[in-house]
Amino acid sequence: MVRVTTRWALAAAAIAMVLVAAAGCSADGGAIDNARFKDLQAEGARIVDVRTAGEFAAGHIPGAELVPYQGIAQVAQGWDPTQPVVVYCAVGDRSAEAANVLRSMGFERVYDLAAGIVAWDGDIIAGEGAVATEPPAVQTSELPVLYEFFTDW
Amino acid sequence: MAPVVDRLKTEYEGIVEFRLINVDTDPQGAALMAQYNAQYVPTFVLLNTDGSVSQTIVGAQKESVFREALDALK
Repeated sequence: MVRVTTRWALAAAAIAMVLVAAAGCSADGGAIDNARFKDLQAEGARIVDVRTAGEFAAGHIPGAELVPYQGIAQVAQGWDPTQPVVVYCAVGDRSAEAANVLRSMGFERVYDLAAGIVAWDGDIIAGEGAVATEPPAVQTSELPVLYEFFTDW
Repeated sequence: MAPVVDRLKTEYEGIVEFRLINVDTDPQGAALMAQYNAQYVPTFVLLNTDGSVSQTIVGAQKESVFREALDALK
């Protein structure tokens, strides 16, 4: 009888641990892949691009709003904390930081696209909202050229 | 990436022209990115002397990757 009781206790403890772990994952969101991103998009999640305006203008995921990650704490004050939020950046670093900021603000379901838009396999809107500028200078160097496009983040 | 780029810029001085574009502050940054189909930062676009794109490198890479790309420029 003792052995049976012990088994039941162990089984119950194991089940409880699994349930707690599962509940933790779903409640807090976390790092997600492209498939989960699309599910959340269909669910009506707020999609937030935390890169720079220049990166956003060059190409972004349809339906995304631009909020560079440095300003997300301020902008998100007006958001519904119960609506799921999915953040993404280029490769996942800035979005992970932004997700932590949102969680600390009390947002219940915050997800970040782990591999960033670099690994995104869905549609991209390119050029929309691009800043109007003078045509880029024609390359006049007699040497080969290396362009580096960067930001200060 | 800055230390690697700075080192290579010095090493390849007179051989390859380095144009560093801060897309947040350069007024032509977004247009240049679009011109070379660059969607992410950092992105490195290497052009031959005739203006043709030799190679595009996305994200931080090993210095050896850049050296190989630089040495392949015509």
